[in-house]
Amino acid sequence: MATVAELLDLGVKAYTRGDSAEAERIWLQAIDLDPQNERVRAYLRQVRGERPGKPAGAAPAPPPHPEPAFAPSPWDAGPAASATVVVIDEGAGLDLGAVDEKSDIRPLVADQRPPARPPPPGDVATWMEGARELFALGDFSGSLEMIERILRVDPTHAEARAYLRQNESTLVAMYESKLGPLSARPRLAIHAEEVMWLNLDHRAGFLLAQIDGSVSYDDLFALSGLPRLDTARILASLVAEGVIR
Amino acid sequence: MSENEPFIGIDLGTTNSVVATVIDGVPRVIASRTGQTLTPSIVAVARNGKRLVGHMAKRQAITNAENTAYAVKRFIGRRWGAPEVEDARKVLPYELVPGPEGVDIRAMLGGRAFAIPEVSALVLAELKADAESFFGRRVTKAVITVPAYFNDGQRKATKDAGRIAGLEVVRIINEPTSAALAYGFGKQMEKKVVVFDLGGGTFDVSVLDVGKSVYDVIAVGGDTYLGGEDFDRRIIDWLVFSFAQEHQAIDLRQDKMALQRLRDAAERAKIELSEGRQSAIHLPFLASGPEGKAALHLDRQLTREKLEDLTQDLVDRAIGVTDRTLRDAGVRTGQIGEVLLVGGMTRMPRVQQAVKAFFGREPSRGVHPEEVVALGAAIQAHALLHPQKGKEVLLLDVTPQNLGIMVVGGYFATIIPRNTTVPTSQSHLFTTVQDNQTTVRIAVLQGASDKAVENELLGEFVLEGIRPAHRGEVEIEVTFDISADGIVGVSARDSATGTRQSITVTATSGLTEAEMRRILEENLDELLTRRQVGDFERLRDRTQAVIAEIEALSPAVKDALARSRFGKDAVIRAEEVVARARAATEARDLQQMIAVEEQLDRALQLFKGLAAGTPPGEKGA
Repeated sequence: MATVAELLDLGVKAYTRGDSAEAERIWLQAIDLDPQNERVRAYLRQVRGERPGKPAGAAPAPPPHPEPAFAPSPWDAGPAASATVVVIDEGAGLDLGAVDEKSDIRPLVADQRPPARPPPPGDVATWMEGARELFALGDFSGSLEMIERILRVDPTHAEARAYLRQNESTLVAMYESKLGPLSARPRLAIHAEEVMWLNLDHRAGFLLAQIDGSVSYDDLFALSGLPRLDTARILASLVAEGVIR
Repeated sequence: MSENEPFIGIDLGTTNSVVATVIDGVPRVIASRTGQTLTPSIVAVARNGKRLVGHMAKRQAITNAENTAYAVKRFIGRRWGAPEVEDARKVLPYELVPGPEGVDIRAMLGGRAFAIPEVSALVLAELKADAESFFGRRVTKAVITVPAYFNDGQRKATKDAGRIAGLEVVRIINEPTSAALAYGFGKQMEKKVVVFDLGGGTFDVSVLDVGKSVYDVIAVGGDTYLGGEDFDRRIIDWLVFSFAQEHQAIDLRQDKMALQRLRDAAERAKIELSEGRQSAIHLPFLASGPEGKAALHLDRQLTREKLEDLTQDLVDRAIGVTDRTLRDAGVRTGQIGEVLLVGGMTRMPRVQQAVKAFFGREPSRGVHPEEVVALGAAIQAHALLHPQKGKEVLLLDVTPQNLGIMVVGGYFATIIPRNTTVPTSQSHLFTTVQDNQTTVRIAVLQGASDKAVENELLGEFVLEGIRPAHRGEVEIEVTFDISADGIVGVSARDSATGTRQSITVTATSGLTEAEMRRILEENLDELLTRRQVGDFERLRDRTQAVIAEIEALSPAVKDALARSRFGKDAVIRAEEVVARARAATEARDLQQMIAVEEQLDRALQLFKGLAAGTPPGEKGA
């Protein structure tokens, strides 16, 4: 008779080949043998879809976001989705020099508005006002520039940090949308000899040197060593200029 | 085992690893899923938390050096504080820390301490996955090669790495033996063979007696810090120096991205120069220009002559080590019947010339030098798993290091010298050092130093009940037995009274059984997570494609709605759904992504209908 460890292993193999029903059946056998086994219980919770997006033991989902009161539409009959608070890795901070967004693509809508606060006095208040206006106009790069100025003099400014996250996440999403599927493996779209006639900085030169048709966009984000925003910006720019495809 | 169960042979190298098998009696290398035959033995945790193995890890090894473990083979099965480990720590960019018991070594990657066998297991798992992709089914059995000088602990740790990777390691064999096996496969050889193995990070030279299907390693030597990377470094230094001369002393070594590209380019040029006479090194936008000026390019031509000039001393060093090893073994070059070249660096013409000049004969070139060890391992796996009468391949191994005990004054007395063929049994007589001494402590050691403290302690025991007598009058016979499996038994016996004590030395990799269990359980978690990541990536790509379609249709939809009495809020609704989908993707929240997927599809269908002129509520749903 199989041990709990063997059943765990068999279940994982079934699960990873896509046979969730078999995995559940095997893990149920394991729980019969050892009802207190936390690992088996966690796997069972997982296979039953109690929290499919996170590994066992992950943090609970954020509270649901109230839906705006729109009139019902025929295409909105699906299950209600709750908005999720966007949390992104700030990395080593934003490189302002890298933010040179000239695109006229606008996001359809911002997910969340930062909380309204009374503006602080002096320059900071003016910059914050400017950041809000630029954000509302869809100029996220301009908004970021203002935010960065504020954070230089007041790194703990809560509203500025909220805008920073929102701007960064919006810009990353915009740039990534220009790349297509992130599992795609880009390759050079020009002759290798033509590369030196481009106008690139050394970071773009580094990323371009990694692109040989065997590395996916996802891999490039992992191996670039740059903040995600910078990597996304450079890659989107290379795609837009027809350097890679 | 089923008749057709696939098996593999693995050359787990310091710098690169290779996996091979035998198909229809023919040994062949298994290419990776991306088509390469070599997999760099490198593991990294990228800045975004992604675990990278092999080529991907190598591509960022300099830009993310502190989270990239390379050459861990130097530390596998070694103890914390060992001289080799301390020396390496001074130059390694990644951090080594002691294990929980303070005995073994851990590598810190992405804030987590990885046991060394765990790191090697990630490389083995990559090779296993490549093999499974090749066979289209699970692979669980493997033969893995190790350097001939690896001690029992290092061999045990390599086995543990295989176990963590989900492999049953049916045999550990010596690398030179494996290489000779690949050359001798199907041939009737009977001669002394030298295996000259100049790999990426280490140089090993071995002398074997090859009889009919019998491979006997009679001597090993080498330099654990001499290999292809040293040759690459010479090219890099040459490039850095010439660039600094041209561009007002800009030091490219200060720029990690530049250094990463230089290393890749240097390796490429070196490989090209094994075939061609010159190689163009062209690195556009390599470094930022001074004072915000345009980025600088590097353009150089490296000739074979220049490369040979830059690396002559390295080639000389390898030949010097070879000379010493042969002298130690009492073998003259004239007695050598075959010289086998192993390792990528032996493709360099200058190396081949130096070997030829030293041995006075052409080295063999029948098998690809980077693949030959893995091919031999595959042949051994085939022989073990599909035995055929009369065709057994007998591998005789030797003791990699001197074995002995500590004697008075803290010295080391060798009982079984290195390079002794196992199985073996040898005895020595010792005596007491004090009058009326009734006990004696036997410390069993392994190593090359005359001082006991500088060798590795394998175990110890106390022999009691010795007949009281004047010092020097009592004879104590110490016997070492080594079985064919490498298990060492040591006994001590008072010749007069017959009192006897013994121990069996069992190799340890440094990992406890409990830790092994924990690592294996974590691997199960990792498998599950990987599937979820796969699900996430597939859904993310699809979500992004749908969003792109919606955005492309958006202007036409707005035009259509401007002319319609219906669905004024359709765009706002769609924007809301798109924003949710983006937020869920950003948060990697698969549950949310699944929840919003259907709404996104509905939004797209609606937009398509609106763009085609159909108002919502009529056909768009």
